[in-house]
Amino acid sequence: MSVEFDFRKELITIIPNLRAFATSLTGSFDRADDLVQETLVKAWDKQHTFQPGTNLKAWLFTILRNEFYTQMRKKGREVQDVDGIHAMQLAGHPEQQGHLDLQDFRKALDLLPDDQREALVLIGASGFSYEEAADICKCAVGTIKSRVSRARTRIAEILGVEGDGDYGPDSISSQIIGVAPAA
Amino acid sequence: MSDRENEDEKLQTGQTQKSQRTGSELGIGASIGKQLKAYYDDVASEPVPDRFLSLLDALDQAESASKKNRE
Repeated sequence: MSVEFDFRKELITIIPNLRAFATSLTGSFDRADDLVQETLVKAWDKQHTFQPGTNLKAWLFTILRNEFYTQMRKKGREVQDVDGIHAMQLAGHPEQQGHLDLQDFRKALDLLPDDQREALVLIGASGFSYEEAADICKCAVGTIKSRVSRARTRIAEILGVEGDGDYGPDSISSQIIGVAPAA
Repeated sequence: MSDRENEDEKLQTGQTQKSQRTGSELGIGASIGKQLKAYYDDVASEPVPDRFLSLLDALDQAESASKKNRE
């Protein structure tokens, strides 16, 4: 059926975003990909509930986020417990060795409470509006705004204290040049 | 004393250059935004791993198989 073929194609275009969001939630590349896999299976099973013309990306992010928190509850452990382990796992990932300049930022991000981190990522990186992010996180728009604002302040504090000296314009511009694809 | 003033001037000049491109936003806020994007795109720019393409193929096949069985 052509409708299903399109669903598959659309799904594939969103996988890179799902992986990036999952990485920010789990703090581990391996766990992120397992989470994306669960999400794809769930999404496939309930694709009939997706309304064509609505935002598939937001729909998938919602499934992924729900799956993540369901798993966390099942394991009976708080996300906060793995603070620090997050950063260590990411730091030890061989593919990341070329991006050492991102490590301070990763550590800072991992120190944020989960609700602030996910709000910051959804708004600042995934490209969602405050309204969409509020839908995904099932909270009020104002709540998302204040979480993003607190997250920014906290990261600035962490980097200001811990990344002093490495946080000048020079290191940032070299980071952008090193990471962003030449446009 | 005059040395210290010179250093302050240098710092201020650096700060001005940094925030020029970002308009009203503070330099620190803009740099957090850039680092956040770099962190995210680090993963999001990777090609889709084969395991997910295979998974979708398998799901697709399982679905067509079960449909045929029902008919």
